[in-house]
Amino acid sequence: MERNIARIALFAALIAALGFLPAVTLGFGVPITAQSLAVMLCGTVLGAKRGALAVLLFLALVALGLPLLAGGRGGLGVFASPTVGFLVGFPIAAFTTGLIVERWKGPLPLVASVASIIGGVVVLYVFGAMGLALMLGKTFPEAALLVTAFIPGDIIKAVLAGGITSGLAKARPDSLLSRA
Amino acid sequence: MISLTSPTKIWAHRLPAGVKLAALPLTTLALFAVSAPAPLGLACVATAALYLSAGPLFARAGITSLRPLWPFLLVIALWHGISGEIAAGLTISLRLINAVALANFVTMTTPLSDMIAVLSWLLTPLRKLGLSTRAIELSIALVIRFTPALTHKGERLAEAWRARARRRPSWKIITPMAALALDDADHVALALRARGGLEPPPTSPPNPSSFPK
Amino acid sequence: MRATSTPAPQFDLRDLTLRLSGRTLLDGITLTANERRIGIIGRNGSGKTTLARVLAGLIPPTSGTATLNGADMMHDRKAALRNIGILFQNPDHQIIFPTVREELAFGLLQLGRSKSQVATQVTDILSKFNKSHWEDAATHTLSQGQKQLVCLMAVLAMAPKTVLLDEPYSGLDIATRLQLQRYVARIDTTVVLITHDPDALADFDRVIWVDGGKIRADGPPATVLPPFVAQMHDWGALDDLADLPD
Ligand SMILES: Nc1ncnc2c1ncn2[C@@H]1O[C@H](COP(=O)(O)OP(=O)(O)O)[C@@H](O)[C@H]1O
Ligand SMILES: [Mg+2]
Repeated sequence: MERNIARIALFAALIAALGFLPAVTLGFGVPITAQSLAVMLCGTVLGAKRGALAVLLFLALVALGLPLLAGGRGGLGVFASPTVGFLVGFPIAAFTTGLIVERWKGPLPLVASVASIIGGVVVLYVFGAMGLALMLGKTFPEAALLVTAFIPGDIIKAVLAGGITSGLAKARPDSLLSRA
Repeated sequence: MISLTSPTKIWAHRLPAGVKLAALPLTTLALFAVSAPAPLGLACVATAALYLSAGPLFARAGITSLRPLWPFLLVIALWHGISGEIAAGLTISLRLINAVALANFVTMTTPLSDMIAVLSWLLTPLRKLGLSTRAIELSIALVIRFTPALTHKGERLAEAWRARARRRPSWKIITPMAALALDDADHVALALRARGGLEPPPTSPPNPSSFPK
Repeated sequence: MRATSTPAPQFDLRDLTLRLSGRTLLDGITLTANERRIGIIGRNGSGKTTLARVLAGLIPPTSGTATLNGADMMHDRKAALRNIGILFQNPDHQIIFPTVREELAFGLLQLGRSKSQVATQVTDILSKFNKSHWEDAATHTLSQGQKQLVCLMAVLAMAPKTVLLDEPYSGLDIATRLQLQRYVARIDTTVVLITHDPDALADFDRVIWVDGGKIRADGPPATVLPPFVAQMHDWGALDDLADLPD
């Protein structure tokens, strides 16, 4: 029990810490913030339920006023801004990602990458676009159009999440609660 | 870092956090119910007055905290400029600015401890049902404790990287950071256990003090 | 002043063995101990910290038993809290909370005290150590020695019958070490001290030398420390780092 709480809290802290870290580069020099990657990792490493709880905990602290979102944003304002759909989508994305890794017992790098694409990109962007549509008074397809430019970068992050997950599985063999 | 703490203590700090937090969703819903630029413009004036009532320093901080909105305002301006639906664009922009500004106002005038107190109060029904909300309170403290610690370790990893590489750190430092988070979690779990874990034992008579005399 | 009125807690280890990831970290340790001052020595990686964790009931042995005053610290956590407090080797692994006050209050709340009681006790502890100004300090901004002192205060505040200290002096400057040593010397209960410093154990009642997860020697400091120091120098004279236990 203590272990579960500790892992959930530490992964919530990891989401925040990766938001503070100066942008890291993808393979070909494109700087990214690693925050949405951390959300995927919550799913692939902690599994559906604990992963979603870690993300919810993170969001709760953002709502309480801590500037933990990438770029130092936080407070209640972010839940009234156009990107609110992505925030709502975060825990659901982690849950979906985790669920897939738990159920599909294939090779980990592949499973974790595909799960991150489905959870961390497809599911997340559906919610993100719905939020944009609502907040900016647009239709869903119009809103989706506004975010398509960001999708390729996030697909790359999802593939990286797969690699990082299998790296972790090797570095800390009993750490993968999603496969426990 | 755009921190949302207020530069000065203002009258709104003295309002009960619960009142502010209850008023916020109601006003936000009202903003979404209105869809004409004129009343929304009026609401904007009211919000601006709210900020100005707290002095110029506070108002300036308020404007700064709206900065993340500009890309969206730009998109709306372009979109509606091209399509010619100016009134609709104005409605959307005013509503957005207003909703975010009000939410920021609540955050800026409510200290973290008050927020946590309200959260704890909201969780009372769970406690009444016999569920322990201790885990939630504890995890909040853990995140506040470990976010700077992990960030710091991440910076050190990045430094160690730069010391031996020409380019900025790649995504490869995320794996060791996640491993650090897992290790820290193991240590915290032990530390929690060493002091009684999640379920506090019922009141027991204290030992005679082992304290240095 | 050491209290002699209450009987000293009794450790009872029987054939204690611990295997992790296929390695034997503790290997059939059997002993009983009820001295007021017990030292544990041994090289890096010999199993001292692992032994401490089992004694404090933080991890279960693979086989064998470990009890303190007849209670199993692993399963009877309520008894464990009152019987044993442990100072971790690395204070960063021990500190749970963002501020000093919360860190000190936590253990007391765990003992079932009321919030107001805890608040006064926290103030008391800090003033006993002349550190009242630390109450609102952020734990992550403290130096290593300061963190160690916070951890020690947190452990002592809970007034356990035994205090287990895992290398509390490593990484401290001489002045801080001497101060901390003085605090420890004044602790009015049983102390189990893990250390690399033979001098710190000179006036202890008993010293246990752990080597490769086994007890290599056990007795009063005068008989255990000299061969230990000699052996350390022998090992230190070797050029071959391959001999470093991994
Ligand atoms: N969780 C673990 N899994 C595997 N080996 C471990 C684990 N923890 C410690 N060890 C190993 O056990 C040995 C004893 O460690 P430890 O008790 O920390 O030694 P000491 O405190 O005497 O320096 C070391 O070789 C260490 O690498
Ligand atoms: Mg050790």
